This record gives sequence, structure tokens and C-alpha cells, in this order.
Amino acid sequence: MKKLTDLEYLKLNKFQVLLYNLKRFFCAIPGWFVNMILAIGRFFARCGIAIKDEFVDIGTTFIKGNWAVKTSFFIFGFGNLFYGQIARGLLFLLFEIVFIGYMLVPSGGIYWLSKGNWFQNGATVGTVQGGFTYDPIFDTDVWVPGDDSVKVMLYGLLTIIFIFAFIYTWRLQVKQCRICMDITAQGKKIKSSKDDLKSLVDDQFHKTLLALPVIGILLFTVLPIIYMILVAFTSYDAAHDGYSNLFSWVGLDNFNDLLDFGNGGLGLAFGEILSWTLMWAFFATFTNYFLGMFVAMMINKKGIKLKKFWRTALVMTIAIPQFVSLLYVSKLFDSSGIIGELLGKIPAIKNYLNTNHYFSLWDSPAVARALVIIINIWVGIPYVMLQATGILMNIPADLYESSRVDGASPFQQYVKITLPYMLFVTGPSLLTSFVSNLNNFNVIYLLSGGNPINTQIGSAGGVSVGHTDLLITWLYKMALGSAESKYYTASVIGILIFVVCAVLSLIIYNVIPSTKNEEDFQ
Amino acid sequence: MKTENKIKKSGLGARASRRISNTIIYIVLIAITLTWLFPFFGILMESFKVNEKGMDGELFPEVWGFDNYIRLFKETDFLKWFINTALMGIATAVFQTFFVLSMSYTLSRLRFKARKPLMNLMLILGMFPGFLTMILIYKVFSEAGLTMEMAPVGLVIVYCASSGMGYYISKGFFDTIPKTLDEAARVDGATRMQVFYKVIMPLSGSIVIYTILMGFMAPWGDFMLASYIIHENSAGMSVAVGMFEWLSKTMLNTNYTMFCAAGVIVAIPVTAVFLALQKYYVEGVTGGAVKG
Amino acid sequence: MANVKLTNVKKIYGKDTVAVQDFNLEIADMEFVVFVGPSGCGKSTTLRMIAGLEDISEGTVEIDGVVVNDLQPRDRNIAMVFQNYALYPHLTVFENMAFPLRLKKMPQDEVYKRVVNAAEILGITEYLTRKPRALSGGQRQRVAIGRAMVRDSKVFLMDEPLSNLDAKLRNQMRAEIILLRQKIDTTFIYVTHDQTEAMTLGDRIVIMKDGFIQQVGTPTEVFDMPVNLFVAEFIGAPKMNAFKTNLVYEDGKYYVTPYGAKIEVTGKKADMLRERNITSREIILGVRPEHVNLADKADASAIPCTIRVNEMMGSELHLHVVEDNGDKLIVRIPTVSLEDEQRKEMVYGSTIYITFEGKVMHFFDPETNENLLT
Repeated sequence: MKKLTDLEYLKLNKFQVLLYNLKRFFCAIPGWFVNMILAIGRFFARCGIAIKDEFVDIGTTFIKGNWAVKTSFFIFGFGNLFYGQIARGLLFLLFEIVFIGYMLVPSGGIYWLSKGNWFQNGATVGTVQGGFTYDPIFDTDVWVPGDDSVKVMLYGLLTIIFIFAFIYTWRLQVKQCRICMDITAQGKKIKSSKDDLKSLVDDQFHKTLLALPVIGILLFTVLPIIYMILVAFTSYDAAHDGYSNLFSWVGLDNFNDLLDFGNGGLGLAFGEILSWTLMWAFFATFTNYFLGMFVAMMINKKGIKLKKFWRTALVMTIAIPQFVSLLYVSKLFDSSGIIGELLGKIPAIKNYLNTNHYFSLWDSPAVARALVIIINIWVGIPYVMLQATGILMNIPADLYESSRVDGASPFQQYVKITLPYMLFVTGPSLLTSFVSNLNNFNVIYLLSGGNPINTQIGSAGGVSVGHTDLLITWLYKMALGSAESKYYTASVIGILIFVVCAVLSLIIYNVIPSTKNEEDFQ
Repeated sequence: MKTENKIKKSGLGARASRRISNTIIYIVLIAITLTWLFPFFGILMESFKVNEKGMDGELFPEVWGFDNYIRLFKETDFLKWFINTALMGIATAVFQTFFVLSMSYTLSRLRFKARKPLMNLMLILGMFPGFLTMILIYKVFSEAGLTMEMAPVGLVIVYCASSGMGYYISKGFFDTIPKTLDEAARVDGATRMQVFYKVIMPLSGSIVIYTILMGFMAPWGDFMLASYIIHENSAGMSVAVGMFEWLSKTMLNTNYTMFCAAGVIVAIPVTAVFLALQKYYVEGVTGGAVKG
Repeated sequence: MANVKLTNVKKIYGKDTVAVQDFNLEIADMEFVVFVGPSGCGKSTTLRMIAGLEDISEGTVEIDGVVVNDLQPRDRNIAMVFQNYALYPHLTVFENMAFPLRLKKMPQDEVYKRVVNAAEILGITEYLTRKPRALSGGQRQRVAIGRAMVRDSKVFLMDEPLSNLDAKLRNQMRAEIILLRQKIDTTFIYVTHDQTEAMTLGDRIVIMKDGFIQQVGTPTEVFDMPVNLFVAEFIGAPKMNAFKTNLVYEDGKYYVTPYGAKIEVTGKKADMLRERNITSREIILGVRPEHVNLADKADASAIPCTIRVNEMMGSELHLHVVEDNGDKLIVRIPTVSLEDEQRKEMVYGSTIYITFEGKVMHFFDPETNENLLT
């Protein structure tokens, strides 16, 4: 659609402005998708070019390199040794020896890779099924262990990562060797091992600082997540735990299950839970946000005394572990809890519970959902209040003074100054709190445990589905709380949670201006 | 004449209306404070109840006594759980602080090629439900003997290993320290590491304490990961997992008041630490805008 | 104490944002060089490249004959004063100034001697135990200078050190820097956007625009003989008047014909025009406000103008006037040369007649904006 010029835009009245902006917003949506696709395309094009450049560079390095460079194509670190970088050279060499050794030894890399039957539909992960065989010595059946699918997959995965690391290291040392050659040709001095060590506390200090945290993330987040993604394509569950029974590759079956809305399929349950999860995240985020801001404004209002006291009273709730306070609060609303009993005496509520044969408030789907949202306000307001206080104090006071001189009422000040300012500053944190509410395990699990059970769906994924279950609590029950432990379904749902979060984030990032540039706020 | 009147009127009205609105605000604030503090009061009262009826729907005890507390230490493993959790808290605080500060400092102050990709990677990883990593980690830990009674060790590893991903708040803090300080120090002859511990760290007391506080509190509040790794082994339990058992349907009536007593004991050290360091917590959350 | 040499220095941000290019300059030992230019001209970037705070994309920087491109700032032996002082808030003034010495592991008595000595020169001895927070802007700036002074650095870099101070303090500090320079024998490189600072401080001035050096020269050179219109307008305050007009060559004499008037070019400028065999042509004429004179209505060289703004500066009067076809000019008249009567008449809307001093005009090519006489 046509974009108005600034002057034309100023001519519009309020209603037209709203209409115009709405129209522009919706007209822009296809643009985002186009942009996204273009961006992805550009990304792959860039990757392609980068890969091509790499190969060209490797080729020219080999052709133009001297014999030391050429040798280092086969013997790691040779070039470094040749040019006197002893420590680097030995490390590279050691890496090569370890890698080749690991790949070739019996039950080494090649062994694990060959066992995996990678992505062959229907084939088992691992080749030898353990089983009972008769042992004449003990005169009884004994367990003869076979392969463990979990290990096969894990070691296979590690081997693949190792291979990539090998290729990367190979490239790295070839490159370094060539740089050494070039530097020597220019008659400059090559960095010694001592220089290398020195630079680790100076221009390479980031490597020193990041080494441990990044290794931690790689081992305890990246690797398990890749593993989890692989599990989504297998039949890994309690019955096929890999040790007593090998599990096998099933291709996209698990994903199809989720789209199966018939009996035994997960589609219905998934749809139901996803819609409640989104609803919950929306209400949980926005009730907290606006009420928390409201409380902050009351406390920070000029002339209100004991500011610190009010704040501390609220902040106390952050200090007390949630499982204590939430479990207690959930019991408060139980039929024999203090509040539950009190409310139960009110005729209308009593009637409602009786006619539906509900034992307590938690048994009514609608009431349970309302309760978790309300109690979450109790949980969340202190955080928002603190954040909002910080921002409110940062709003320049002269904005308020000048608006008062201009004749704005307190309400107008709120709408015209406070709210826009807050929204601008907290836009990004609103997004993160939305995403973290999608995965708010504690509040739901400790308050309602996901109950009451949804009788229309009954059970899905081996566990019963409740009206207040979020994807994350459903997943938790699936992986831990049930005898079947359907890890594969859990993995599929995990991937879908990721997709939901990613899509929402992308959209919100596109809508909120302040999320775009990190450096703008510095 | 007319305008003069109007000004006078609204002048008087402003004072009166301010008084009214302030009164309303005080009433609302008192109501809010009572609501927010009610559960703590309730738990405290419940813990002094001496009866075997479990939940009785009364706020105040019929008979007062310390029976629940005595039972807690005599009949249950609560003390063990408490020590477990406290040790985990201390260990997590130490390691997590190191990880988080390294990560956030690097991302805030140093510029290197992998910086943006690393931040994007962590953003993407954060969108996966972290809980699912447990499928693999539990399996590996159980092979390595880091579950069940050794769960506290395993849990500390789990809490700390990926904690670098929670760099946002402290990075925000570091971002507010002017970059010219680093530059001046470097010109003055400091290596980047000296800049880190001679210039930036001394200026970052509040965020260090905030990070320590967050690390210390993590094991007290975590239920999800802990319950998975501990796998119902009493010797390795944290308070959260242990006490959760007490409120299962079958044990609710016998253990409810004891749960509250345990809750009081858990709440006291954590709240004490928290209130003592509240200033730093508030500074962390608000980026230093609120003092006190 | 060292010379600094920059050869073909270029700075590229990201892929193709060029901040500085073709930067060639040789700074002699003990020289005071000022980089000046509007914001975004690359002057600070160049300074930061010398300091080692920015990578050098192309070219080389040499200090004392050593290429320092790959050296860390701490290995270059330079001192630097920053615009916002960059004092360490957690250290006392003494420790702030001692910081570089401590990093060198200098013994305490030597540290003490140097810091106290510098503090005396700067007059901040009584603040040595205070934290920077408790100091005023001027005192902080002194501490920052002191921190740079205590070390025997080869080059002393200053990045807009005065721009955070108020006008009065700025003048005072400027004078102190001039004095300071006599006490520290070292090479100074000073960055500023303020042409007054550049003119008063520098032995030589480097004027930059859009990443390019426009002109390098002593203050007198750049003022008297600006190489192009940009330099001409940038140096000198109020800004030089510049407008299109014609240069006319008649009977061996040069005239300019602004707004229908006819003014003869005289003196050295006329000689230079003649030397270069310049004939009648279109030019941009540059006349500094102080070279605009009041004229008689009857003169052929008189230009009628309407006064729009009248700024009484005390020692002189600045008039913003509008010529009949809308061109704006600034006129600067020393108050002593005006009668009271005359001054009273110079109010908004009244008409005055002006003419230009023939021997100090500047002629620029309308297409390239280059000075015709260089």
C-alpha cells in the first residue's frame, strides 16, 4: 500500500491514523515473510560462497605453499614446528594422533558409527540385542548384554562431532602454516609460544574467559539438545530403553502422531494443551505486567510514605522458595483449606460445586484455570514491581512537570508518558517473560499439578492430560511421571515448543522497535 | 473573573483530591501487603499446630506447640536434605558466579568474531525446553554415579554447566560502565585481564553479589531438574523434592503441618540472606536505578 | 619524545564504511599537532588508531621509526586524555594517577615522587586522597592530565579534553595546556572540533572532513590561505561569507562584481591572480566578516543590505544582514570605529551599505570549491 508522506500523515484524524497504521501493519506481514525467506536465501548463498572460497583457498594454499605447508596437509602441526611454533605444532600433532587412534582402535569411533544404522527407517540403533541365554555352569538363564542404543547413539554423535572438529583443526593448522609462510616471506617475526600465552590474557582474553562456560554449554546444552532431536526420530521409551530392548529409527512417525487427531493420536491433546499454554502465557504476562506497574506507581507516587517498607513486603515473596509458598497456597484453596472452606460456604459457589459434583475448587476446569492465573499474579507482581520501579525512576521528571504545565491530568500522564516509556524500555523483557511463562513449570505443577484431568481426552502420550497442563508439565509427566516414559513424544513436543517460541519471538522482534538494536541503549 | 475562579477552585480541589487519592492508595497498599504476607503468616501458624487432623481449615492453632519441628528432625531426613541443599547452594553460587560473570563480561566488553554468533546460538538454545536435556544427562549421570545419593553433585554440575546462558542481567550491568575506562586502562599499560580484575571487577560489587545470591537460591527453588536427578532417593534429596513428597494425596493429612514447619525452617535462612542482600538484588533487577 | 609517522592510513568499519583514508602525516618530535574537523570527520578515529584502540585497516603507523600496527596500546608507550576523563571511580586521585606506574611495578617512593610532582604542577595536591566523584569537572580533567603526565610517554594524545567543560573553564584550561606544554617535553596530538582551540594550541593544524585530510599547516597558513571552501568556512569565527559572483579582468586590473557592485582586488591577491594568468570567470568569493567594511551609499562598491540580527559582543558588533536577492552575510565591525549615532541606527530592518576589503579576498572555483590561488 501507499505510504503517506509525513505531512499527509499529520493531516489525518485519530481514527484515520489508527486505520492507517493497522492497514500498514497487516500489509507489512507478507513483507516479513518475504524478508525472512530472502534472509534465509541470502544466508545459504553466503554459506555457499564461503564454502567455495574455503576450497579455493585450500587449493591455492596447496599449490603455492612450500614443502612445509604441503606436508602439514598430512601431518598436523608440521608447518608450525617448521616455523618454530613448537607448542602449537605439538598440540596439533597430538590431536591428529589421538583422533586417528580413537577412530581405529576396536570399539573406537568407526565401531560406534557402524553400529548406529543411522536414520534407516525400522532399523535398530545398535545391532546386537541383549538377551537371556542358558548358562550351564549356573544352570540358569543369565543376561547376556548386547548393545545399548543410548550409548551407540551418544558415542556415534560424539564421533561425528569429533570428525567435524578434526576437519576444522586440519583447516586451522593449514591456514596458520600458510600465514607463517607469508609472514616469513615479508621478513617479519612469527609469534612464539610465549607470545601466544601472553595474548591469552590480552587480545585473546575472550578465549580464556569463555573456555569453561562455552564448554559447559556445549556439553550440557548443545549436545543433549542434538541428542534429544535425534530421539524424536526413534522409538526410545521405557519399554525400549536401549539396554534391555534396542530402540529403532522410526522416521517421521512421531511427528505424524502429533498431527493425528483420531483415537490414539496426540493431535487433540496437543492442540488443547497448546491453546491453553498460549492463553496462560498471555494472561500471566499481561496481568503481571500491568498490575505490577500499577503497584509500582502507587508505591512511587510522590507523598506516599514508607516506600521501602511496601517494597520489602512484596520482595519477601521472592525470597521464599516457591515450592513452599505455592504448595501452601494451593492447599489454601483446597476443600479443607482456609480459603477453600470459606468460599465453599458461600451458597452460589457451594451450589456450583455440588451440581457439578466437584469436590474442591481445583476440580472445576474453569475455576482452576482462573485460580492459577490469579495466584500467578501473587507470584509475579514483586518482580514486575521492582523492574517498573527502576524504569519509573529513570523517566525524566521534567517530562511530568512540562506535561502538568501543559494541563495533563494524572490519567493522561499515565497514558501519554508512563505507558509508552515503559513499553519502549520493557519491550524486550516482555518478550522474554512471555516465553518463560510458556515454560512456567513451577507455578502450574506446584499449584494444580496440571489437574483437573480432561475427561474428553483422557490420556495422551502415556499420561493423563489436565485442563491446566502446560506443554512443559505435560512433557515432564511424560518423561518422568509415567511408567511408559515416552521419551520420543517428549522430544517431539520439545521441538515443537522450540518452534512456537521461535516463531513468537520472531514476530515480536519484528513488531517491537526497541528489540532491534542492542547498542542503542548503551 | 471566570478563569480566576476556576484556578482558585482547582487549587483547593487539588489538595483535597490528593489527600483522598493518597488515602485510597494507602488502603490499597495495606490490603496488598496483607495479601502478600498472609501465606507466610499462615505457614507459621500452621507449623505450631499440634494435632493429627492435618488440614483443618483454621488459621490459628487450637493447641500450640513445637511438635512438628521435633518430628521433623526426629522422624525424617529433613536435616540431611537441608544440609544437601545448603551445600548445593554454596557450590552453585561459587561456580555459577564464575561462569556467568566470565560470559557476560566477555560479551559486554570484548569484541571478537564469534561474539554475535555465540549470542544468537544462546538465544536459540534458550528456546528449547531445558528440561529435555535431562533425558541424556540423567542417563550419563547414572552411569557416572552422579544421581540418587550423589545427586547433589550432579545437580550442581547441571545448575552451573550451562549457566553462562543466563548472562543477560549482568551483561546489562557491564554495558553501563563506560567503555573509555577500559580504554584508559589499556593505554595506561594494563592487559585486558588486568582491566578485568583491576578496573571492572572493583566497580561491579553489586552485580557480583546479585549473581552469588541467584546462585545460592537456585537449588532451594528448583523442583523440576532436582526431582529427575534425585529419583526418589532420600539420601540425595534437596528440600524441595523431599518436602513435595509429603503433600502427596496419601500422606497429606499426616504431614501437612510438618510441611509447614519445614517450610518455616527453609524460609528463614534464605529470607535472611535475601533481605540482608536485598539492596544488591534490587540493583540487579532494576539496573541500579532504585537505591535501598 | 618521538616522531610519529602515518602512511596511507585507512580505516574501514564493517564492510564498506570508510572512516579515514589516504592519511599521510609526519609529526616531528616535540610538535603540537591538532586534528580538527566537524563530527564524523575521522579525527578521533585517527587518534584512536595511533593509540591502538582501533585496528588499522590499511597503511602503517610508526612511532619513533617502529611500526606499531600490531602492538597493544600498552606496548606503544603513549599517554592519552579522554573527553569524559575516564577516571577510575573506585580509586583515589593519587591511585588514579599512580595506576600506570603501578602496572609497571614501579617502587613506591618513585611513584610517590612522580605523582606528587605532577599534582603540584596541576595544582591538585590537596585532592590527592579524594575519589573522583568528589571533584568538579575541571579538577577531574586535571587528574586525567596528571595520570597521563606521570609516565614518560613518547606521545601525548588528547581526545577533545575540554569539550565537557563550561565555556569559562575551557578558556582557562586551554591556557593551562599551553603552559603545560612548556613543562612536558613531548609530542602532542590533540583532537578537537573547536577551531578556536585548534588555532590557539597547535603548531600545526590538520583539518579533516569525511575521512580525508583537507589541509595541513600552521594556524596562519590555514587562516590566510585555505585550500578550499570547506577549510575557509571552518576556520575563523564567525564563519566566512561565501557567494557566487564574477571575477572581471579589465585593463590589467581585477574586479569582483558582487550584487551589482564593483570592487577592485588589490595588493598581493591581485598579484597572485596575475601570476596565474586568471582571466574573467565565475567564482565563489569568500570574504571574512572582519573584512567587510561599511561604505558610502554613493560608492560604486557599495552593496545595500537589510539588517536582520544585531549581536552586540562588546568589543565588536556582529550584524547578520540580507542582501536584496536573499543572500545572508555576516558583518563584523569593531565597536571603536562606530559613532554612537551610527550604532543606534543599526536596528532590525534598517538598511546599511557595505563593501569588501580588496586585499584579503578569497577566490574559489565554483565547481571544485578549490582555492584558485593555491
